[in-house]
Amino acid sequence: MLNKNITTLGVAAAILLSAQSGIAQANETPINGTVQSRCIIQTDTAGTFGNPNAYTLTTASADGGENAVIRIDVTLANSYYAEITAPSEFSSSPTLPDQVTWTGDTEVKTVSDSTTMGAYESGKVELGMMDRYDLTATGSTWFKTSSVATMGGNKAFPGGNYTALVQADCIAK
Amino acid sequence: MTKMKYIIAALVLAISSVAYSHEMVPTYPELTISHIDGLQKTTVTIFNKRAEVEYYEIGVFTEEWEPIPFVSNYKIYKIPYLSTVSVEIYVRKEDKDRTTYICSMSKLRKKQVTRTAIKSRICSLVKQKRL
Repeated sequence: MLNKNITTLGVAAAILLSAQSGIAQANETPINGTVQSRCIIQTDTAGTFGNPNAYTLTTASADGGENAVIRIDVTLANSYYAEITAPSEFSSSPTLPDQVTWTGDTEVKTVSDSTTMGAYESGKVELGMMDRYDLTATGSTWFKTSSVATMGGNKAFPGGNYTALVQADCIAK
Repeated sequence: MTKMKYIIAALVLAISSVAYSHEMVPTYPELTISHIDGLQKTTVTIFNKRAEVEYYEIGVFTEEWEPIPFVSNYKIYKIPYLSTVSVEIYVRKEDKDRTTYICSMSKLRKKQVTRTAIKSRICSLVKQKRL
């Protein structure tokens, strides 16, 4: 009889506990967040240099390289400039035997909305290796940057690792 | 078999759409009076979604991109991947009218970069300078 009562009490306690935990689980926990306008710079493809001959490093795909691709997302129209600067020096390299001549260019590869962003490429301002785009619409823009480094006097690039930096700026206006 | 094709296609899409990003808000921070006499204060928040980048440098500039002296806990912040850091920036009251841009720039470690790399910089415009 005593055992039966204990069992009954145990079952009742278990039901109460599970009911309480059920109530706890039903509580609403707020998840707070704030939406703010912003610019997001995404590194889509870092890019690679190909080495078609001894004195040239290039990102051209025909020469075994790969262009750098940067995606910039803006959530507020007419609020940002994008400035993409192709490299004009190596950030790390072996000791070089001569001066290196750099050429490079940036162009719009794709846009998320061709109606509102279609004029980005024709409207860009080029200042040396830097191309400035006025981001007049919300959405995503993919920029493609090519780079060619040529060693002076047709001398060969010494063996080793070479790194050059593409700079992507998003500047509020 | 068709199901498997869909799964593979979804995986390929998911992998190919992975991108690494750098974000900073607000777009237009406002310099306000701080608790320290003679200093103006603002706060920016940086989100690091670039797996290959751990450090970001803060800079404050004039309209002509001349650096302006400022105080924050660090000049270079360690922001682990998928982390957010809020940075309090203090400028002198006499520099308030010259302060135009507040920027965060990715810092790449030599050992982490491959043959080419992308340096990202986001600059907010101080609200008082907005036309």
